Amino acid sequence: MESLKEDLKKQIIEQLNLEDLQVSDIDDDSLLFSADGVGLDSIDALELIVLMEKFYGIQVTNPEEGKDAFLTINTMADYIEKNRN
Amino acid sequence: MYINAASTISHQPTFRNAGFSELIEPLDNSSELISPNYKEYIDAGLLRRMSKILRMSVAAAKDCLTQAETAQPGAIIVGTGLGCLQDTEKFLNTFLSIEGLLPPTSFIQSTHNTIAGQISLSIGNHGYNMTHTQNTLSFEHALIDTSLLLGEGKDNIITGAADEFIAFLDEAAEHLNASSKHHLTSGASFFILGKNKTEKSVARVKDVRTAGLIQDIDAAIDSFLLDNFLNISEVDLVLYSDFSEKEKMDSVAHQYFNEHYHADSKLINYTKLSGLYPTNSAFAMHYAVDRIQREPKLKNVLILNGLNKINLGLTLIESLEA
Repeated sequence: MESLKEDLKKQIIEQLNLEDLQVSDIDDDSLLFSADGVGLDSIDALELIVLMEKFYGIQVTNPEEGKDAFLTINTMADYIEKNRN
Repeated sequence: MYINAASTISHQPTFRNAGFSELIEPLDNSSELISPNYKEYIDAGLLRRMSKILRMSVAAAKDCLTQAETAQPGAIIVGTGLGCLQDTEKFLNTFLSIEGLLPPTSFIQSTHNTIAGQISLSIGNHGYNMTHTQNTLSFEHALIDTSLLLGEGKDNIITGAADEFIAFLDEAAEHLNASSKHHLTSGASFFILGKNKTEKSVARVKDVRTAGLIQDIDAAIDSFLLDNFLNISEVDLVLYSDFSEKEKMDSVAHQYFNEHYHADSKLINYTKLSGLYPTNSAFAMHYAVDRIQREPKLKNVLILNGLNKINLGLTLIESLEA
């Protein structure tokens, strides 16, 4: 699980061009879409959906599900664990 | 229309460097884009997604607003010949290599009007926002649009032009047998243009004209000068660009002005200074403004854009003293 979270942070930093962030800057429970957390926005949400399919083979088809899944690194990792084959 | 601010990011030390026209030499093939610290001009959240052309354009446009001490422009008008090539290439490569969902950012930002859009987003402007893409005459069309809009009552308009180099252009030029003696480069030049002369005004765009499928260039120049009540000898400096592989004395500008211009310094091929990109006549306009500010004897500067042999762009820049 820990390595999945590290991997997820690396992918998010790379795919979303978070140039100023290192893996160690993102806490597992930081809110991804809050200005107090990582500060992502709606375009990033679309990029995360693509990232989930491209790197983890998971299609996020239900927007409500995505909202909960993309809250933090912890919730994303849980979602990946539950849904990947 | 009056030029109240000018800013250029290019392969030359043009950015925030008044007097650059006295310093710069023709580019060599190893030149690279000289980028400012973009973080000083663009919010980090927006900057991380921006390609080269967007960074150059937003930074130059915001620098113009600072120079003109204007918070909000009356409109944003951009000319670009090839648009956002970096994002287009990225999107197409992803499109060809990935099955399923495609990352949206490069697709969203691949369109030409992203440049004007990102300028408006970065300053929160909700006014007229227009992009002109007319090959090598894109900047001149942006100027014409600006002139029309100033006539309708808008003021302090951000007008500019940008194009970016990607390595594929060299490859494409080779395949098309269109390799040039000039170095392919990137550049963005922006201006604040206003209807009336203010304390910020540095020069005036007296006239701008374009001609597509041009047949008789000499007649077009004759007519342009005549309409502006100028003799050839009253044009103090000609900035020209052409795609001719011939020696310079054979170029259109030299053919036309040769009899009246015995000093080489009066005829300058600006593509040698800016490098080759479709909207480098915007670089020429900033160069003209910079020269005019330093040389009081320069009253009229003609920009003769013949970069594409079937298109002709003529822009007359006048000093405030003229």
